Amino acid sequence: MKFEKKRANAKQEIPTASMPDIVFMLLLFFMVSTTLREVDVYVKYQLPEAKSIEKIENKRLVSYIWVGNDGRIQLNDAIVKVEEIQPLMYKKRVSLPNVIVSLRIDKNSEMGLVTDIQQELRKADARRINYSTLLKQ
Amino acid sequence: MAFKKRKIREAEIPSSSMADIAFLLLLFFLVSTTIDVDTGIGLTLPEYIPPEQQEFAPMSKDRMAALLINAAGDVLLNNEQISVNQVKEKLKPRIISKINLPKKKKLVVSVKTDRKTNYNVYIQVLDQVKGAYFEVRDEYSRKTYGRPFKDLNEEEQKDVRSKIPIIISIAEPEAVK
Repeated sequence: MKFEKKRANAKQEIPTASMPDIVFMLLLFFMVSTTLREVDVYVKYQLPEAKSIEKIENKRLVSYIWVGNDGRIQLNDAIVKVEEIQPLMYKKRVSLPNVIVSLRIDKNSEMGLVTDIQQELRKADARRINYSTLLKQ
Repeated sequence: MAFKKRKIREAEIPSSSMADIAFLLLLFFLVSTTIDVDTGIGLTLPEYIPPEQQEFAPMSKDRMAALLINAAGDVLLNNEQISVNQVKEKLKPRIISKINLPKKKKLVVSVKTDRKTNYNVYIQVLDQVKGAYFEVRDEYSRKTYGRPFKDLNEEEQKDVRSKIPIIISIAEPEAVK
């Protein structure tokens, strides 16, 4: 008796011709749905959590202020002192009248610092602010 | 003379590495971009008035909801100590009672903190205040239009907004006992 190995005649290959297309589609999705990182954040911070939050509709209007867990303040792309916020923000407001200031403040900060920053913003007349928070689950 | 047919060479662009190149591009975009959406509690700060020009504007007790937060994180609403989670429930009836009053008589929520107050506690209180306003707005739009606030058209939203404006006043900083 002769044994013969059964062998399928079909090609044993995964068709990979469309793989680049799939990857390009993914790539396009990410290019459209994300924004480029504009600045490096030098401070370490952990945002507080809240439930009743809103989205900022227009990202182009936003200017950021970070406050780290060590109390350092970063305005857009540089570490600044509290007194420097007013002139910088005023310049910003002249070029962009309805600027929204997004405050990304570490949750263990003290209100004294936050109040000082707010006073500076009021003096610079940049009064639309947004306390950046995460969604509480 | 015999013509030999020349063999046609196979003309093909090697595309096996295309996927690799595309993956590389994809990775680059994944690393260099952010997807974070900016969410947070929006607020408009009051205009800056130098201390010497400040005037004391009297306001009726009925209009005012004064929230004080001290350094230890205790919350005081109109001189009554409450916990952070109670703020919403305490404020809601007061907002509702003022829906039909003219603009000058709507509720004003004033939040005052100590310099040593924890930022997180402050945000929790603001969250509660905002939550109270959002819930009242939602209930009101359900009653009058039969839909939640976010499903209303622009005109209707404007109407609800004018009926229930969010007035949160951040008090001038000073020590809170």
